[in-house]
Amino acid sequence: MTGASAQSLVDDRPGDGIFRVRRAAFVEPALFERELERIFQRCWNYICHDSQVRERGQYVRGSIGRYPVFAIRGLDGEIRCFHDSCPHRGSMLTRGRSGVQPTITCRYHGWAFNADGRCIRVRGRDAGYSREALERLGTDLKPVARVASYRGFVFASLDPDVEDLETFLGGARPFVDLMADQSEEGMEVLKGESTYVMRANWKLQTENSTDGYHVATVHRNFAHTVRQREALAGEADDARARTEASRILDLESISSGGYDMGNGHMINWSDRGSPESAPLNEARGAIAARFGEGKARWMIDRGRTVTIFPNFFLNDVASTCIRLWRPVAVDLTEIDTWCLAPIGESAAARRARIRKYEDFFLPSSIAVPDDVRAMEVAHAGSLAAGGEAWNDLALGYATMVEGADDAARELGAAPLHSNPGRESETPFYAFWREWRRRMDGP
Amino acid sequence: MSGFDAALTAEAADLLYREAWHLDSRDWAAWLALYSEDAIFWAPAIAGEEGFSGDPDNDVSLIYLDRAGLEARIFRIEGRDSFASAPLPHTAHVVGNVRAAETKGAEIEVSATWLVNSFRRTDPPILRAGRYAYTLRRTAAGLAIARKTVYVLDDRIVGPIDIFNI
Repeated sequence: MTGASAQSLVDDRPGDGIFRVRRAAFVEPALFERELERIFQRCWNYICHDSQVRERGQYVRGSIGRYPVFAIRGLDGEIRCFHDSCPHRGSMLTRGRSGVQPTITCRYHGWAFNADGRCIRVRGRDAGYSREALERLGTDLKPVARVASYRGFVFASLDPDVEDLETFLGGARPFVDLMADQSEEGMEVLKGESTYVMRANWKLQTENSTDGYHVATVHRNFAHTVRQREALAGEADDARARTEASRILDLESISSGGYDMGNGHMINWSDRGSPESAPLNEARGAIAARFGEGKARWMIDRGRTVTIFPNFFLNDVASTCIRLWRPVAVDLTEIDTWCLAPIGESAAARRARIRKYEDFFLPSSIAVPDDVRAMEVAHAGSLAAGGEAWNDLALGYATMVEGADDAARELGAAPLHSNPGRESETPFYAFWREWRRRMDGP
Repeated sequence: MSGFDAALTAEAADLLYREAWHLDSRDWAAWLALYSEDAIFWAPAIAGEEGFSGDPDNDVSLIYLDRAGLEARIFRIEGRDSFASAPLPHTAHVVGNVRAAETKGAEIEVSATWLVNSFRRTDPPILRAGRYAYTLRRTAAGLAIARKTVYVLDDRIVGPIDIFNI
């Protein structure tokens, strides 16, 4: 299997109605190395939200595949991204995962750089280095080839020839906008971060992020647990504080769907059974006035997961979440999660948003640990027979339609294909076609 | 903590040890009975390099639960329907460095450190550590936990975190 092409791992025969993925795609170490090179080193990679680098000199550490990088707001206000590596002898420069360092000093030999990346000090420069040597070695920080921001979400790419970020995000942009447009004052990442570990391949998280089929099985316990809590707490609470569980337990009574947005991006959505439980509901009037009723319906009445190729998602279902999953090894993934909130929302909405975020999105919640377990077990089981067996992604094939459905048209979004129903696997085709294209491409 | 009271510390330590014992013994009802009706169980999240999240209404916490929330966690554990927590790991809490002092409002502030080892056949063992800050209240039935703050020191979390393994 070591030399397997992605072609032989993805059996995509639209004419025959067949789409299968060999489980080796998740467990084969040689493929993992190829993914770092073919996907992560060439793709746009999410680094941070601009609210995390508000001040000049404020930085956030990130990674592109295994490469350490950091984003920093420069003295001129521009967000840049640099390799987290001293030009002198390669030491990592950031002291922590985030912070403010208007002057970045390498702790090893004392070279210093300003937040724009310019070298401002080489210790012992005049005595020890010839002018020619300094010119040859290049003393400024090495920028990551491309940095771009879309609606506050900052991405970077190691490939100088990568397509524009807007082109890459393509059809997923209207769904990113649904997160970015929730407040006229902008969005902010809340204080309180979490990084957790999954002993499974990163692509299981990509699939699971858009997989609506597991919700009723893995998360029925979440729904039952919050219902139990709400019954114990009585009816006195603010409607916003209640968690809307009908989307999990009563799928037949709500509308839902899944889209292939092109370039490997996937959407999964479900109507909220009780939109008044959405913290954003207080802004309905203002949002409808700014964007129209259709977009207000998408922002408030529908929960959505927006999975951006290859390892990033925005989830606005129980609460608002940014999640990034980093490939560490073929069977090890580190996952970062942040709560993204509208600036200026009421104290009651903020409190409800945070409580619901804690309920679902953390390794200490009553949902994410069950997801992590599901993915770890999927990875372990995929090792059976050397990963030779197929995942046949046939679920929902018969109901898939070309192009948009009514809900997508309401947003002005243009899926390549739609599926009326969350419990379909057809949105995965978006990811796997892009994965194969990049893995086998030139 | 401002002062230190040896007799009070012994009394508070006994409560903390009993709580840890109930969790390790999976005696959830006895564990919950140690908490007052208005109790808050709070585990702040990591924020930045050296700090923790603050105001639970503005920052994200790992866990912020009232008594109904704690009861619901027990419901989840006992239901054995959570993929992550069935089978439950075996845990051993070690609570140490307990210090207690009375405060003005007749409440008792307690600080302590903790270690929890968790074992489950299918997983590598997990060792976690942190600090506790308790507010205890004297009731007719003895000391009750009015507030428990759990500082979890891991900033790269392995395995699920729940009320029984921190």
